[in-house]
Amino acid sequence: MSYLGRRVIRAAFLLVGVSILCFLFTEMAPGSFFDEMRLNPQISPETISSLRARYGLDQPLVVRYGRWLRSALHADFGYSIAYNAPVAPLLWSRAKNTLLLATTGMLLTWLISIPLGVWAAARSGRMLDKSVRVASSLLVSIPEVVIAVALLAIVVRWRVLPVGGMTSMDNEGLSQWARLQEIASRMLLPTIILTLGETAIIVRHLRASVLEVLDTPFVQAARGLGIGRTRLLFRHVLPVAASPAISLLGFSLAGLLSGSLLVEVICGWPGLGPLILDATLSRDFYLVIGGIMLSALFMVGGNLVADIMLLACDPRIRTGALDAR
Amino acid sequence: MKAIARLTLLVCLLAGVCMAAGPSPEKPNPGEELERAGQVSGHHGGNLTIGGRAEPKTLNPVIATDAVSREVIGRMMADLIDINRASQQTEPALAKSWKTSPDGRVFTLQLRKGIRFSDGHPFDADDVVFSFAVYMDENVDSPQRDLLIIDGKPLTVTKVDQYTVRFTLPRPYAAAERLFDGLAMLPKHLLEKSYRERKFVQAWSLNTAASEIAGLGPFRLKQYVPGQRVVLERNPYYWKVDSNNERLPYLDELTFLFVGSEDAQVMRFEAGETSMISRLSSDNYNLLARERDRTRAQLVDMGPSLEYNFLVFNQNDLSSKKLDAVAQKQQWFRELKFRQAISAAIDRDSIVRLVYGTRGAPLWGNVGPGNKQWVNTAIPHPQRSVDAARRLLKSAGFSWNQAGQLLDSSGKPVEFSIITSSSNTQRMKMATLIQDDLSHLGMQVHVVPLEFRAVIDRVFQSFDYEAAIMALGGGDADPNPEMNVWTTSGTSHLWHLHETEPASPWEREIDQLMQQQMITLDYGKRKQLYDRVQQLIAEHLPFIFLATPNVLAVANPRVGNFHPAVLDPYTLWNADELYIRTPMESAAAR
Amino acid sequence: MRAKTAILIVALVGLHLTLLLAGFVAPCDPGAQDRELPYAPPTRLHFVDASSWHLRPFVYRWNAGPDGYFEDKRQSFPVHFLTSGPAYKLLGIFEAKWHLFGVDEPARIALLGTDGFGRDEFSRVLSGGQISVAEGIAATLLALLAGTIFGIIAGYYGRLTDESVMGATELFLSLPWLYFLLGVRAFLPLHLSPARTFLLLTCVIGLIGWARPARLVRGIVLSARSRNYVLAARSFGGSDFYLMWRHILPEVLGLLLTQAALLVPRYIAAEVTLSFFGLGVNEPVASWGNMLSTLQQYSVLVSYAWLLAPAVALVVTSVIYSILADTLHSRLEFRST
Repeated sequence: MSYLGRRVIRAAFLLVGVSILCFLFTEMAPGSFFDEMRLNPQISPETISSLRARYGLDQPLVVRYGRWLRSALHADFGYSIAYNAPVAPLLWSRAKNTLLLATTGMLLTWLISIPLGVWAAARSGRMLDKSVRVASSLLVSIPEVVIAVALLAIVVRWRVLPVGGMTSMDNEGLSQWARLQEIASRMLLPTIILTLGETAIIVRHLRASVLEVLDTPFVQAARGLGIGRTRLLFRHVLPVAASPAISLLGFSLAGLLSGSLLVEVICGWPGLGPLILDATLSRDFYLVIGGIMLSALFMVGGNLVADIMLLACDPRIRTGALDAR
Repeated sequence: MKAIARLTLLVCLLAGVCMAAGPSPEKPNPGEELERAGQVSGHHGGNLTIGGRAEPKTLNPVIATDAVSREVIGRMMADLIDINRASQQTEPALAKSWKTSPDGRVFTLQLRKGIRFSDGHPFDADDVVFSFAVYMDENVDSPQRDLLIIDGKPLTVTKVDQYTVRFTLPRPYAAAERLFDGLAMLPKHLLEKSYRERKFVQAWSLNTAASEIAGLGPFRLKQYVPGQRVVLERNPYYWKVDSNNERLPYLDELTFLFVGSEDAQVMRFEAGETSMISRLSSDNYNLLARERDRTRAQLVDMGPSLEYNFLVFNQNDLSSKKLDAVAQKQQWFRELKFRQAISAAIDRDSIVRLVYGTRGAPLWGNVGPGNKQWVNTAIPHPQRSVDAARRLLKSAGFSWNQAGQLLDSSGKPVEFSIITSSSNTQRMKMATLIQDDLSHLGMQVHVVPLEFRAVIDRVFQSFDYEAAIMALGGGDADPNPEMNVWTTSGTSHLWHLHETEPASPWEREIDQLMQQQMITLDYGKRKQLYDRVQQLIAEHLPFIFLATPNVLAVANPRVGNFHPAVLDPYTLWNADELYIRTPMESAAAR
Repeated sequence: MRAKTAILIVALVGLHLTLLLAGFVAPCDPGAQDRELPYAPPTRLHFVDASSWHLRPFVYRWNAGPDGYFEDKRQSFPVHFLTSGPAYKLLGIFEAKWHLFGVDEPARIALLGTDGFGRDEFSRVLSGGQISVAEGIAATLLALLAGTIFGIIAGYYGRLTDESVMGATELFLSLPWLYFLLGVRAFLPLHLSPARTFLLLTCVIGLIGWARPARLVRGIVLSARSRNYVLAARSFGGSDFYLMWRHILPEVLGLLLTQAALLVPRYIAAEVTLSFFGLGVNEPVASWGNMLSTLQQYSVLVSYAWLLAPAVALVVTSVIYSILADTLHSRLEFRST
């Protein structure tokens, strides 16, 4: 059975497992969607139970799961109780925004960290390296939530950037270029927050592994043979040093949908984050489960890509010259 | 008069105010019977943006339950009889007049003639009958259905002629006119099909095209951008005119921006992206007040709101084994002197000062000073006294040990936990203050923050809690909506739910009084009955009342006719009268 | 190198000693409310008054005025060192009353101002630090321990073990943990003692947090197990456990140190989320997590800058740990080559 085939089967198992556990977890959590109505003295409990029955909330767990599974196989992921609309289009319209933000963040991160990490290691001990180490230490030490809130407060206080939403009110009247500019300006703050945190981590990892590789005999030999510095770094050292970093890339891909949740909520970016958070807290669980399945799908895909890249980069794993016994 | 309006318009254009291209109002024609808002003046044009906590979930007035949806829908729809939020009295809306039968059971409403929906289709009694049929349909499960059921029997609606409708209540009901507020009249020509096909619940979701939605409110749907905003535009056929016979609303567009938490709303307001914030906490209000000189914002403190925050002890009948620990503590909770001692020891002044930044009022009953019509001013407001509390506890058989801990009559130390919603910072702060207050009595109190629905689950379903800090009220000034809180069989009778018989003589008396006031039509007599109810509640303390916040709202200086009210929706209740001032006018208004 | 290590050691020892002896260093009881003094700015230390220059600093009382607080210059209160004050439990065991410094009643010395209830922020940061730093370290250790074990097993044995463990991590990372937390909270008794809360916090965070380190470790192990010396050791008859312990683990150590420096502050901040679900440290006990959650209010953030103290303390602590991790890492590198 080919490697890919095995992974696909594993992915299918995973998705089924996630869905089962999701249903179990939502059952564990107290409260239901209509609880807020209990606080209103003017709504009778009969109305509430009738609503619950209509949406099938009082059916046993197994029945609900069975129905959901059957419809999921027909690509129907249920209805959102709050929006009274099908889950899939609702999720997709927001997922697009999240993907835009997360992909830009990821590209920016890797574009910055690869050269930065390699150069810092190459000039180890000197000015560049020192400042990179200090900056990344500092950024790594500050949790993302603190960075996000601090930057947001600064940006708002000094009116540096527009915050919140993706477009402004006059959006329709603008030209294509102006529209793009506007989306970019609102995307700037969340992207910066995402990039700052990730870059610090990746730069550190990359720098550490490049330093390691720089000491190996084959690099010394290559240098002795007169191969130019840049070519040496990026053509010979990087592919070897990259292998632990590939796992990180896999994480970036896998967490493409879920990693930006915090930033989206704080900056008001209309992505999956605020939607799922709201749905989770209000127990709109078909929407929540739909969102989780989508994230799980991305995670599986991202990990698959990461593993393939790992195999591609490190031939030793591929040749399997290391089977235990 | 028209020339003046045009001149003002030109002046606005010259002043550089951005004019959104909304539909201009139709000239009033003699066939229409329009409502004249005599005191209102302003000029047309402009766009108002207001921030919302979340996205609306639906545009269907019949099934909408969340506050944000109702706020948006409320601007697009109109009702037969409206409660004017400023005066808290009813006034004619789509019904221009009505007659009540002497026994208070039959209401005959005269509808305005010549009125049209926002798509131009005429409005008449058929739409009213259709709307009420939908509201009362059991298969639709509208939350508003329960309002129309009195004593288990629904009211009946009959069409008398094209512009007259008769409502018959199963029994006399005080202030029955107030029932009509918020019941939007639906367009039969657009919704009948989905109703007949039993697909009504899916009608008017957020994805519906704007042309399929029509209402009688001041605005109609223009655009919905998922996750970001809902834009409403002027309804050119709106049935109200101002003092100059200019058709309202003044605004070209009203935009609801989904901003998120109140803090995010303040940030957007400061950035100039929104023009109004509907309800603020005192912290944010004081923050904006500090900048008032620079920003010239209009900050309004309307005084105490109608909601009441309270501490409730679990006095439910507990049968489950799991709740044994709680059941044992109930002997304390059921002791009146215990509750009285706690009420005496709580520092309400500090709650108002530290939690509401002095913008609030302490409460000793369920009706606070904000409800001028119904508050019983004779209820005592005792000052905080730890000594009095100790005396009460002593007389109830409690004592203190060497370490200062409070012990009950059997020697067990008094210890209990208070749950409250972790998302409400005000009530969390109250819990911390109360914890400290009660430690002076030797009680060990634990503050347990829980997620909002987890709190509701424990208070309404599992009864697995000891004490809770919650809030109720704020919907309407009239006592009738509170029936379910104070009557024994009521569903919000939080301290002792699922009671079949009144557990004590005072609860029985409250039952009788509340039933009585519900059918008494004379305000004076009702007030007397309700005063006695308030007195009983304050004496027997089923809830220990804490405080109420003031209603605080803010708008930027360009918003005219900004008159926030103490009732929900606090700032948009007169959305049809709001207008954008020119810079000269805002300067003059200061 | 010498000087830098010395500074690092001093910082580490200073930090931990201060936190351990929080009750002694802090002048006030962290839970004592002063309702007349909410959101008071930091107390100013003066050395010069109308008459002359003093060696011993003194403070004035804050009085509330229409424009905020102003100093009441009518009476000065000298700062006493090694004075007696509110009782506390040193190291949680010994009752003690001595404090490093303090002032006489009715003045208060609040070096970092007061919070919304008038409680001394400085004392709260110190006592909160005890709980938060301990919880952060414990949770990190738990997560990394579990992650390393699973990661090494997965990477070393490959094939089926690898697939199942990696599948498990994917499962873990996808699940709706918010619901799980809600369920856990519903299942637990209403009131948890501080010790139980601490244990709970640690376990929950560690339970959720093992997946990511496991994946990273597995990545390294996959490459490491093909190294020459590992193959050589195996051919010499080394057992699996010996190989894992002696040869593979050191490779992983570097990653673990980096991860640890990264995770500790994040786990401390994670308490903010957990307290939303009722799984955090409850009032009136202070912890950096629950102090940070009050900062989520915009008005507080911009008006009362001194309340940022726990965030600053968090950053300082994590920077120190980060430098520690870096130093250990470079030491290890030098050793292995």
